Amino acid sequence: MSDLIWSAIAPELVLVILSGLILVVSVWKKPPLKSMAVLVGAGLVATWAAWGLQLSRLQDIVDAGSFGALAFNDMVITDGTAVIARLILMVILTLAVALAWPMLDEIGQRSAEALVLMFLATAGFMLLAAATNLVMAFIGLEVGSISLYVLAAVARKSRLADEAAMKYFLLGSFASAVFIYGVALLYAGSGSVSIDALRSFSGRVIVSPGVLYVSMAMLVVGVLFKVTAAPFHAWAPDVYQGSAAGVVGFMAAAAKVGGFVALVRIVGITYVRFADDWRPALAAIAALSIVLGTLLALSQTDFRRMLAYSGIAHAGFILVGVAAGRSANEAILFYLAVYTVQLVTAFGIAAIVSGPTSSGSPFSAYKGLASRSPFLAAGLATTMLGMSGMPITSGFIGKLGVFRAAWEKGLEWLVVVALVASVAAFFFYLRVIVDMYMRDPDEETADVAAEPQVAGRVAIAVAVVVTVLFGLYPSPLLDLIRNVVS
Amino acid sequence: MDFPMLSLLILVPVIAAAAVMLLPKERTELHLPVALVLSLLPVGLGGVLFARFESVVGFQFVEQAPLIERWGISWHVGIDGVALPLILLTTILIPISIAASTSIAKNAQLFLAMVLMLEAGLIGVFSALDLIVFFVFFEAILIPMYFIIGIWGSENRIYAAIKFFLYTAFGSALMLVGIIALSVMQQNKTGVSSFDYTVLLGLEISPAAQAWLFAVFGIAFAIKVPMFPFHTWLPDAHVQAPTAGSVLLAGVMLKLGTYGFLRFNLPLFPDAAVRFAPVVATLAVIGIVYGAAVAIVQTDLKKLVAYSSVSHLGFIMLGIVAFTQNGLDGGVIQMVNHGLTTGALFLLVGMLYERRHTKLIADFGGLQKAMPIFAGVFLFSTFASIGLPGLNGFVGEFLVLIGSYATLPGFAIVATAGVVLAAVYLLWAYERVFTGVADKPENQDVPDLNLRETLIFVPIIALILLLGLYPKVLLNRIEPSTAGIIDRIEATTDYVEPTFVIGEPSE
Repeated sequence: MSDLIWSAIAPELVLVILSGLILVVSVWKKPPLKSMAVLVGAGLVATWAAWGLQLSRLQDIVDAGSFGALAFNDMVITDGTAVIARLILMVILTLAVALAWPMLDEIGQRSAEALVLMFLATAGFMLLAAATNLVMAFIGLEVGSISLYVLAAVARKSRLADEAAMKYFLLGSFASAVFIYGVALLYAGSGSVSIDALRSFSGRVIVSPGVLYVSMAMLVVGVLFKVTAAPFHAWAPDVYQGSAAGVVGFMAAAAKVGGFVALVRIVGITYVRFADDWRPALAAIAALSIVLGTLLALSQTDFRRMLAYSGIAHAGFILVGVAAGRSANEAILFYLAVYTVQLVTAFGIAAIVSGPTSSGSPFSAYKGLASRSPFLAAGLATTMLGMSGMPITSGFIGKLGVFRAAWEKGLEWLVVVALVASVAAFFFYLRVIVDMYMRDPDEETADVAAEPQVAGRVAIAVAVVVTVLFGLYPSPLLDLIRNVVS
Repeated sequence: MDFPMLSLLILVPVIAAAAVMLLPKERTELHLPVALVLSLLPVGLGGVLFARFESVVGFQFVEQAPLIERWGISWHVGIDGVALPLILLTTILIPISIAASTSIAKNAQLFLAMVLMLEAGLIGVFSALDLIVFFVFFEAILIPMYFIIGIWGSENRIYAAIKFFLYTAFGSALMLVGIIALSVMQQNKTGVSSFDYTVLLGLEISPAAQAWLFAVFGIAFAIKVPMFPFHTWLPDAHVQAPTAGSVLLAGVMLKLGTYGFLRFNLPLFPDAAVRFAPVVATLAVIGIVYGAAVAIVQTDLKKLVAYSSVSHLGFIMLGIVAFTQNGLDGGVIQMVNHGLTTGALFLLVGMLYERRHTKLIADFGGLQKAMPIFAGVFLFSTFASIGLPGLNGFVGEFLVLIGSYATLPGFAIVATAGVVLAAVYLLWAYERVFTGVADKPENQDVPDLNLRETLIFVPIIALILLLGLYPKVLLNRIEPSTAGIIDRIEATTDYVEPTFVIGEPSE
């Protein structure tokens, strides 16, 4: 019934073609980064256009009364979730390229590789988000993940960076292995690797029935690893502290978008009948991630490590929504959209403050930033307030959405745990603001000029405007998500 | 409502803040005058509100527009007789605080913008009729106040700012649990989620649910008030904050707690309110006596005024949980009174500090000779604060006491001690600071109030006299709304307001 509908993967195609072009041009002509910018800019515009094409196609599909359209022998689907996930990935890719420019400048010849890896990772996670077949999902996951492993080491200068890349690669591969084993077990149990393998499931299995439970656990754990949920988080702080400063925000954000969308599909479609089994488990993992991430973030001395731990807590907050089930899907996508934008911005500002290829970003570097660079300080302050879920920022709306859905589903205890933790979290988000605004720069930092380039400046300004605008008036984004997802 | 008065009133300070930030950085002499002039616009708008406000029950100047339809969140604002006085108080105290901030040297532009943002947030809180809109404003005002304390405060400012923020944020998180629960209850009952205050008033809530909802809202507001034992953030925040911060913190922000009790706890959870009234009254009375007792032993003038707030706010809470017309009226009018008198006292302490760079009572003495006008204003504010008849404090305290005597006689009697103690700590402080011989040389030629400073006090003194001599101007507008709250409690519970007529012996 379905065939080769190229528009179903149009943005990925453009990104892959663009990657190939950049590779060829960079080897052949060795152009300066400035001329490369033209190609990259044109490529991004083309990808956005391809996404626009998909959105219009989606509208036709919705008008025809269908939730989505399958393509390539039921491998990928064009539905609202996939289109919104692509939108989020496109936004963070665009912001990340703008913010990574100083780093690309510094690493010279390798800048083409870094760009290609970012594009390929985006394409991989886009496929993961659109996959309706778990083997397809695995391919997307691996294209994305392997690109990120290499990206982590793209500007390595210190042992910290080596350690980060190695750790990420080893543990990441292990998680991928767990995931593919889960796919195999699902096949053993149901005879299918489709995302709705169990839709017409009769209850008769070839091997023992417990195999389906094991497959569910392995698929979920494999994805939870990628989104840094506790207790599968141990790699995140080292990787996010050690990897190349200019791209680490993109690494953290892209994996979260792809991973969470895949998780929503796996528990919401494949194992939807097992909801009574996965709901308490996901709720427990959510609570653990929130509590552990918040407590450990409190004691950090490095801004990037702090962001890594706060990312674990955020994975927990999003899992609150996942545990709530279908009704939270809009809120999850909204949360992902605003959080990943804040994440890319925060890491981008860290790269400006501590240097584009640095490993780590100690809090002392932020002392008196408000007097050295009011723009960066205001940008980071807004981002921190957004991450903390402060009202008037988009972070609050995201949290409100997932908490509301969870409360409706009877997960009251989880909402209370999450809210208490978000109060404790104010402490470390405010700490950065204290350093920037309320302390004077010390001797080391006093004359370090920290000013973003034009592209970075625009990216930060956009992120700040989005954070405040969608905090005060979230309807446009929520409506867009609702219209295409429902 | 045809013209969006309240939205305009919230928007004008935001635009003013942006305008101040857009002024050229190096023209420092422009920043404060521009901010001051712009901050007078809301005063004018407040005057229009006051003139067009009708003394009837229900909300006026109502505006409603959907924000997030499916969750039932809408931009719903409107005011009644409880909110109106507090909005007017806010608009009046903001220009006063700005005019008193000439000593802010570091990044005054940002400071003034923060004060104006704070004004927008405060007006928003008092006019919000949607629980999420209320919550957003309630939380958002923490940001400017956090910066005001943390950047422009004194030595221990960072500790005080974080303590203030976390205390309040903790209470707010509890309240958010309650807000979410309310909307889900509404959804389960009617199928449509709503955060609208007027819609939720129609929700029937079981006594058990009322009890915990009353508790989570109550703790959030009790921290703001602050009621004993949630008051420990207050001395730190007040003492460390710059003068304008202290004035607005004591003058308006503490009222968010008492206002919250009146707006949400009483009408939404009447059954729990009646049951828990003795608990709240006990904490209120402990606050009255404890705050006053601690104020007596303070050696720091600013701390003394800070602790006096704990005592005064106890009166307001006692009046609110008395559930009588007099008690509620007294509570509301006392919110305004406390804002004016304590605002004046903090301004005076701040001006004294600018002159002598100390706030310790022991460092002063005999100042009256060098600065007679200053001493006169201080004594006047002191009298207003301790409730001298003819001044505003008397009206509020008297109404609270007779109102609470009708339903909570034991508490009212203990609370009377607070009136006496207030006279002790304030007059004793006055005596030590202003009277006697100025034996320290630096106290002999302290400059008196200059023209700018004198002008700052003119509106405050005028209002203290007006409300003391002719409180009806406000009471008329307050009464229908407070009566509406009592009617609601009587209609939904077994509680009956006792008829209490002065002069008639009761059986």
